[in-house]
Amino acid sequence: MHSPVEQFTIKALMHIELFGYDVSFSNSALFMMLTVILSVAYLTYAMRNRDMVPGRLQASAEMLYEFVSEMVRSNVGSEGRPFFPFIFTLFIFLLFGNMLGLIPYSYTFTSQIVVTFVLAAFIFVGVTLVALIKHGMHFFSFFVPPGAPKVLIPFLIIIEVISYFVRPVSLSVRLFANMLAGHTMLKVFAGLAVMITGAGGVAVAGSILPFLALIGLTGLEVLVAGLQAYVFTILTCMYLNDALHLH
Amino acid sequence: MANSVAVKTTGLKLGALTFGLAVMASPALAAGESSGGLPQLDFTTWPTQIFWLVVSFTLAYVLMSRIVTPRIASVLEERHTRLEDDMERARQAAQEAEDMRVSFEKALADARSEAADKTRETLANATQEADKKNDAAAKRLATKIAKAETKIMESRAEALKELDDVASASAVDAAASLAGVKVTKTDAKKAVKAAAKAMPAMEQN
Repeated sequence: MHSPVEQFTIKALMHIELFGYDVSFSNSALFMMLTVILSVAYLTYAMRNRDMVPGRLQASAEMLYEFVSEMVRSNVGSEGRPFFPFIFTLFIFLLFGNMLGLIPYSYTFTSQIVVTFVLAAFIFVGVTLVALIKHGMHFFSFFVPPGAPKVLIPFLIIIEVISYFVRPVSLSVRLFANMLAGHTMLKVFAGLAVMITGAGGVAVAGSILPFLALIGLTGLEVLVAGLQAYVFTILTCMYLNDALHLH
Repeated sequence: MANSVAVKTTGLKLGALTFGLAVMASPALAAGESSGGLPQLDFTTWPTQIFWLVVSFTLAYVLMSRIVTPRIASVLEERHTRLEDDMERARQAAQEAEDMRVSFEKALADARSEAADKTRETLANATQEADKKNDAAAKRLATKIAKAETKIMESRAEALKELDDVASASAVDAAASLAGVKVTKTDAKKAVKAAAKAMPAMEQN
């Protein structure tokens, strides 16, 4: 019997070493590349005719674009326009990564804390730099809540600074934990169904219960995959908005 | 644009930093990995994941920002302008139709009032003429009637006079032949007149 977390194991498919570091092309890397190739191929193929009246495929690509575009517009405003390609890439990368990971025998690279943390840290540092470039030293007023009583200001600054630095952690852990928990749960129920079937006899009929649960959970996981990609992206938009407009 | 480039380079630096940290940490924690912990905490796999994340995400960013988003944006933009143009044309056409309707209605109203005026005029003229003709005809008739009446009166008077003469003559003759009385013409006339006066009274009884 396999452990339910065994599915997260990184397996090297092709050994590569760069400057002394092991950067082997693994199952995780394969699905990252697949995500990029499939999403770009889909979006390019969908828009191939540049139809004035879009077909189903083109309409879906346009919907994705307008969804992210609207998200940036309503959360960041017009100043967020230069960051749109990044936000769009981020959303598509996470959405396709999460969805591809739900296909049996595939790999969910977003279930790796290192992946979500590097993304979140990149966003955190980038957003902080954007704020420093735009507002200079004035940026630090961000840690002083406006209208707070003078006595409380030192404490509030501490709290604000902590909450600011916790951002990349909460952002990365949210996605990672959702993916980890979801896929583990799927594996547990699938394993249960297999185990009951293995008992033989009348017990085989009982395996229908975990199997039905598995079907329901798969639907739930599709929802979580979409929702977590959305949450990650919209929080990025909010951080960017804070950086551009401070309070 | 400059901002996003800055963001990117920092991200790469940070990636490298985490990379370094992970590699430093991995020998210390590698021991925990064999005891069946989470594969996510196997730090030896972090460099490859970070490396391929940077590669794939950068590739995705380049493809999305260079090819995918400009293409979708241009199609949406094109459709937007096209729709605006069409809407503008439709508005113009509607305006034209409205103008046409207004002018048509005005022409119709004008024609209607003109026709009404003409009808009224014609009717008035016709009535006037008819009245004139009627009057003339009535006058003519009246004169004719008057003439005829005078003629009748004359004839009647004459006839009555003649009747008196005849009656007195026959009375004279009758008196002479029946009674042998010689009656003067004057007396006969008187008698006839008296008889004539009595007659209507008798007839009435």
